[in-house]
Amino acid sequence: MTVALAVPDILVARAQAGDEAALEALFRAFETPVYNLARRMLRNAEDAEDVLQETFLEVVKSIRNYRGEGYLWGWIRRIAATKALMRIRRDQLRATEPLGEDHGKAGMHVGANIDLERAFEQLTDTSRAVVWLHDVEGYTHEEIGELMGKSVSFSKSQLARAHARLRGMLGEGEGAQA
Amino acid sequence: MMHCTMDDLLALRASEASVWARRHVEDCGACRAELDSLYQRVAQLKALPALRPPRDRWSIVRDAARVDQAHRRRTWSGWGLAAAAALVGLLLVPRFGPDGSKLHAELADAKGQSATLEDQLQNYDVDGRVLTGRMAARVAELEDRIAVIDGDLARWGAVKPQAQDAELVKLWQQRVDLMRQLVNVRVSSARYVGL
Repeated sequence: MTVALAVPDILVARAQAGDEAALEALFRAFETPVYNLARRMLRNAEDAEDVLQETFLEVVKSIRNYRGEGYLWGWIRRIAATKALMRIRRDQLRATEPLGEDHGKAGMHVGANIDLERAFEQLTDTSRAVVWLHDVEGYTHEEIGELMGKSVSFSKSQLARAHARLRGMLGEGEGAQA
Repeated sequence: MMHCTMDDLLALRASEASVWARRHVEDCGACRAELDSLYQRVAQLKALPALRPPRDRWSIVRDAARVDQAHRRRTWSGWGLAAAAALVGLLLVPRFGPDGSKLHAELADAKGQSATLEDQLQNYDVDGRVLTGRMAARVAELEDRIAVIDGDLARWGAVKPQAQDAELVKLWQQRVDLMRQLVNVRVSSARYVGL
């Protein structure tokens, strides 16, 4: 999805001064991209809603510290991605799922020829997060590694495995890659 | 025949591929098709419809923002009041006669303690600390009571700017007592989260 990046400086300045209408305007401008990012990274819609809420609580609290380095969406998106990744890490600790194990969901066979959105949902949380952050949001492997507390090669290998799995689920390319 | 791996294809997409992979994909139709599929998959991912939040969470965020702002205002008004009180105290010093010296000493002592406690409170990052529900309620109650006393002190200063009676001393001592309780709660919460 395309996010309108331009937010008037005056709106940011008013939000930094605690103007409630300006804060609401920022919330309205970014609630969908933040929720979409969280929902694509997380399996659970309620978790994504919680990330949306936590992200804007952080934005409201920290907007005074935003100095205009980079664009506002980049700043908000990083907060949202960090919070979503924290949830993934927490859930993995609870479920004792080793970070990086990409077994996908049971019952999804190679060549099942499902649509991409469904196939994407079958990936593990970590793989989904890496694919979304890299391919859609445009994060580099260095940035993803930093956000996840992992190495660049971890991010690269997660992306490769996730694409190999997507390719299999979508029944693509029977020739090469066998 | 050896074909490109997914790592090779992703490297090709990122313009970071090896010389072998770049040459191979020019000659191999199957790998070119794989690379095209990869580009299409990424384009389709980017084109997925935006998922919208099912419920409006603004009211929760707004309420939290209001609490945050009220807290900041209270903290700053406390600091402002303490500074103003210190200034008024300095201006009033020459006016005290021998009868008022005991009250003056008590007042100065209460103000000094209040300022020290304000300092201590700042060390506990009051905005960022996670509190249990019970502690948060206690903090809110104490802060509200301090705010009431601050209001009384401000009114007192407006009505009787040169007053130096026992009532004023009592108000400052009450403020010190509440501040001490507030610091104790903050210390407990800091221990609770393992500071």
